[in-house]
Amino acid sequence: MYKLIEFIRRIYVVLLFIVIEAIALNYYAHSSYYTQAKILSHANRVTGGVQSAIFGVRHYFTLRHENELLSERIADLEMELAVYREQVAAAGIDSLQPHIDELSQYRYTTARIVSNSIARDRNYITLNRGIMHGVTENMAVISPDGVMVGYVIGCSERYSVVMPLLNIDFRTSGKIAGDDHFGSISWGGGSPYKMEMTELSKYADIEVGDEVVSSGLSHYFPEGVKIGYVESYSLNDTQTAYDVVIRLAADVTKISNVIVIENLDYGEVSHLEDSATGGAAAAQ
Amino acid sequence: MQRYLSYAGVFATLVLLQIFLIDNITLSVYFHPLVYAAFIILLPLDTKPVWVLLLSAAMGLTIDVLTGMGGLNVIAATAAGFMRPLIVTLTCGRASGPDDAVPALYRLTQKNLAWYMAGMILLHSSIYFLLESLSLRHLPHALLRLALSDIATAVFVWYFIKLFIEKILNK
Repeated sequence: MYKLIEFIRRIYVVLLFIVIEAIALNYYAHSSYYTQAKILSHANRVTGGVQSAIFGVRHYFTLRHENELLSERIADLEMELAVYREQVAAAGIDSLQPHIDELSQYRYTTARIVSNSIARDRNYITLNRGIMHGVTENMAVISPDGVMVGYVIGCSERYSVVMPLLNIDFRTSGKIAGDDHFGSISWGGGSPYKMEMTELSKYADIEVGDEVVSSGLSHYFPEGVKIGYVESYSLNDTQTAYDVVIRLAADVTKISNVIVIENLDYGEVSHLEDSATGGAAAAQ
Repeated sequence: MQRYLSYAGVFATLVLLQIFLIDNITLSVYFHPLVYAAFIILLPLDTKPVWVLLLSAAMGLTIDVLTGMGGLNVIAATAAGFMRPLIVTLTCGRASGPDDAVPALYRLTQKNLAWYMAGMILLHSSIYFLLESLSLRHLPHALLRLALSDIATAVFVWYFIKLFIEKILNK
């Protein structure tokens, strides 16, 4: 207390000066509209600058917290986005349902790819659907937008393995959309975006850019499932058929969901063909 | 006692001169001497700072009340009174002496007195004119007004000091 009094006694002239000046300035500031406006304007500029500086300092120290809030917000939005993406993918699959339903001979189910290789000559895809989900061998697999992916070659209770287009053992029958001439489609290795169609009749109506679809002759795939587009073509050595290079419509390297199609007549047709083939052989 | 009466007479004389003579001379907008500042300059150098401050404020208040300036003279005069010890130290140094020393020709060199007077007048009038205009937009005109008014004030104060010292204090 004594120190405080001593301190005030030492600076009382300064305090008195400040008090007198403050009273005088206040009185002068309110003595006319001009001084009032001018002084208030200057005062506001000064206080605004000081407040801005204080706010800047305070804001700097809250940046860490704001950063955390932003990170949490980003995480929430990422989660929402993931949900929407799943819904979009599901909607894409659902949109194909009417098309598939028209093919009464076929029944479909959806699956998610859990493993996919593309770097080898014999690549395989693993799906999270197996026998307990109704998936069996020789079922066709297409992408959500209706493009050929492969067919099932093996199943466990909960998983199944697909031979995709990008496997040198893959074979199927295809044709140019709008034309009935068909050829044999296979992958020779190399680029994961290109396949070959051989033995296409030289009378086929073909142009670069034409759509290549399944012919429906392979028992696996319904007719008209898109495979790709004609990138180039030429007559083979014997000049009897075209060799066609196809640019794949499906990017197998980034597919995550697929549709598995069951041909309900596959067993009956196969059995008939086997017995007919066996009967003919026996007759011979 | 006579000394106090003398300063009271100086106070009244300067107030009357400022109000009835100087403020009524309308030579130009650039001519506005603030001669009452001579009172603050003439106060004895050993006067306690608080009394210098209060007397300066009283002079400014008197002028304000009589001219209706709304506190402007109080601000300028009080600031000049507050800063006077510093200006004395800066301009006169030890030459001013520690005792009852009026800054006059017989105690200070003319050079020191001139610097002290100029410093006080410049400080007082600068505050006055700056607050009066409240703007730096017409700075050249403000500086011209400051210069002409300060020259006139300095001339007046110089001769007023001589008169005060030689005739009233009989030095």
